[in-house]
Amino acid sequence: MILRLVWLHALSRRLPAALALLAACAAGLRGTLYGHWDAYGALQLPLIIEAACAAVIAVTAGSPFGEPERATGRWLPFLRLGAAVALTALAAGLLAAAGTGMPLAGGFPDVLRNVAGLTGIGLLCAVLLGGPLAWIGPLTYSLAGVYALYTDWHPPTLSTPWLWPGRPPHDAGGALCAAGVFAAGLIAFAVRGARENANQ
Amino acid sequence: MSASAPAGTRPSGRAPAIPVPASGRLLRLELRHNVMLWLLPVVGVLFWYNGYREVMALPPMWNLRAMTLQNRLLLDLVIPAVGAAAWMGSREGRRDMTDLLGVTARPRWSRQLAAWAATTAWAEAGCLACIAVVYVMTARQASWGGPLWWPAAVSVAGVPPLTAIGFAAGALFPSRFITPLITVAVFFGFAFSTQATSGDHSNWQISPLISGAFNVGAAPGVATFYRYLPDLSIAQVMFTVGLTAAVLGGLGLPAANGPRLRWLAAVVTAAGLGAAGTAVTLAGTGRLDPHGMIVIPALHDPASGQPVSYTPRCSGTAIPVCVHPAYSVVLPAVTAAVGSELTELAGLPGAPARISQVPVAYQQSSGNTTSIIAALPSPSAFVVPDPVPGQPGATSAEFAGQLAQSLGLQLIIDVVLDGSGRGADLNPSQAELAVIGGSVQFPSSVEGRDLPPPFSRLRDAPGSPVGLAARRFAALTPAARHDWLEHHLTALRAGQISLAELP
Repeated sequence: MILRLVWLHALSRRLPAALALLAACAAGLRGTLYGHWDAYGALQLPLIIEAACAAVIAVTAGSPFGEPERATGRWLPFLRLGAAVALTALAAGLLAAAGTGMPLAGGFPDVLRNVAGLTGIGLLCAVLLGGPLAWIGPLTYSLAGVYALYTDWHPPTLSTPWLWPGRPPHDAGGALCAAGVFAAGLIAFAVRGARENANQ
Repeated sequence: MSASAPAGTRPSGRAPAIPVPASGRLLRLELRHNVMLWLLPVVGVLFWYNGYREVMALPPMWNLRAMTLQNRLLLDLVIPAVGAAAWMGSREGRRDMTDLLGVTARPRWSRQLAAWAATTAWAEAGCLACIAVVYVMTARQASWGGPLWWPAAVSVAGVPPLTAIGFAAGALFPSRFITPLITVAVFFGFAFSTQATSGDHSNWQISPLISGAFNVGAAPGVATFYRYLPDLSIAQVMFTVGLTAAVLGGLGLPAANGPRLRWLAAVVTAAGLGAAGTAVTLAGTGRLDPHGMIVIPALHDPASGQPVSYTPRCSGTAIPVCVHPAYSVVLPAVTAAVGSELTELAGLPGAPARISQVPVAYQQSSGNTTSIIAALPSPSAFVVPDPVPGQPGATSAEFAGQLAQSLGLQLIIDVVLDGSGRGADLNPSQAELAVIGGSVQFPSSVEGRDLPPPFSRLRDAPGSPVGLAARRFAALTPAARHDWLEHHLTALRAGQISLAELP
């Protein structure tokens, strides 16, 4: 019964397609890491692909059923929470696996922090704007992150931990901010769900 | 939905004074219900954060700001513009209205073009607003020159292909995932296309993000002494127009109703591909000209390579330092860096009556490097170091250090060695070396390896007899050094003064 419920929830959110896209993103990261990039490319490329993964996860937040689904039982918040956490963990794991043995800037800590933080932004956007428009947050933020990495060479360096992609992988401040945003996004999404907008 | 209204009818309300054709009304509706309008604040924030602050931190020189703006603005527009276009393009499919709208009087291609045009119009409005802000602010601050319109034109022309690609992807694959994926894909391809650029013959120069020669970029000396060459910009505009036509034409191939529209779409696609391909080929024929810009022979107007006439701005120092008026903002930094040398040497035999800035020459070297050649035609000529304070990575201390190494050292060599140090092997006596070392105000960042061989000893061995004498001489005021040189310069040049006789 529970398994069937989980499966139906996953199908309604296009999770199989999202999984395929996350795998494609990981394959894309692997492919790009074979290329010869300058310092900008080496640092900024992973962030762009991490943002793509976060946007894919955020877009799955949208429900095709709307209001009637909310009246079906008490499992919905847990299903949302589980789906978001599972996809985030899978995305981080797939990207880290794709970077194994390759010059992946920042390594696994960087991937985990960025994917979690960007997904948190995406889930918050899903709550505020709706699932289909939730990509706006992570992609917009990734551009600010790309710029923060750029300022590492072109002072003044942007050192605020809220721009965690520009911080070193083991920086506690950046990790805390990313974790905080991820937690806020998860809680808001689990409790409220994605906004339903008839115009979307 | 608006297209479902029969052609020729109008919505309820007051009749317009001038009848608007149905396509105009459709466009107006699309303009009012376009997601790009709501993303304009995102454009503003991104531009302010990523582009505006950096552009406005540059010295107020039109060439620096306009060329940097071309590089920054389109990058900031990619995500909102492509995302909005993909969102609008996928609208019919997302709402399962394709069949419903298929029976309306308007062909699907026509409806799509109206939605694309509205999205592009709002994106262009954001682009133009960003350009206007930077240009108005620069016009109020710049000491010379006027707006460079070609970089702005390339930025404006770069928007339609972005929205066309996003729109086409959304229309062809109306999945919920297409918007973020195509946005990331376009951003990736767009932002990193410049990484493949190598040398002045690279076809990748066609990227609208590249302003001028790739390895020179926005440099103070480019488009200052000579006009901005529009060759590469023309090719880039041709490429963006061609790409837009190709994508929109390709969108019409499956969507056009009837053979005539399909033929039209095919012709537009072919023409667009031809224009884009021609532009890429032309970019590959470019070469770096001595003034730091790309010349494309097929597009080049020889008359545009003439030097710009200007009245130099001069300092009020003992020896006036004159620079191109665009460099007025760095004139105080120049005089501060070599001010003591100017006071010390003014009026002495061999000292110039005035020092004038001359342009540097650029030369493409092997691989992806560019040489900057400072050919000084006379002892009174100098070049302003590049980069100037305010440019990314440039500090006032480094700027002063480079001036001391070049202008400051050359001035004192010309006076103490009577010009024999210019272009010849330097062989000063110990006293001459000490006077030169004591006169040039090298910042602490300058090391021995930065200086020509005889003078490197001054930094490498400060405790040597020559170094100690130089420190004694440096302790004098510029006026005192001037007085001493005025009375002892002839003897110093003749080798009749020992280290012990130096003050």
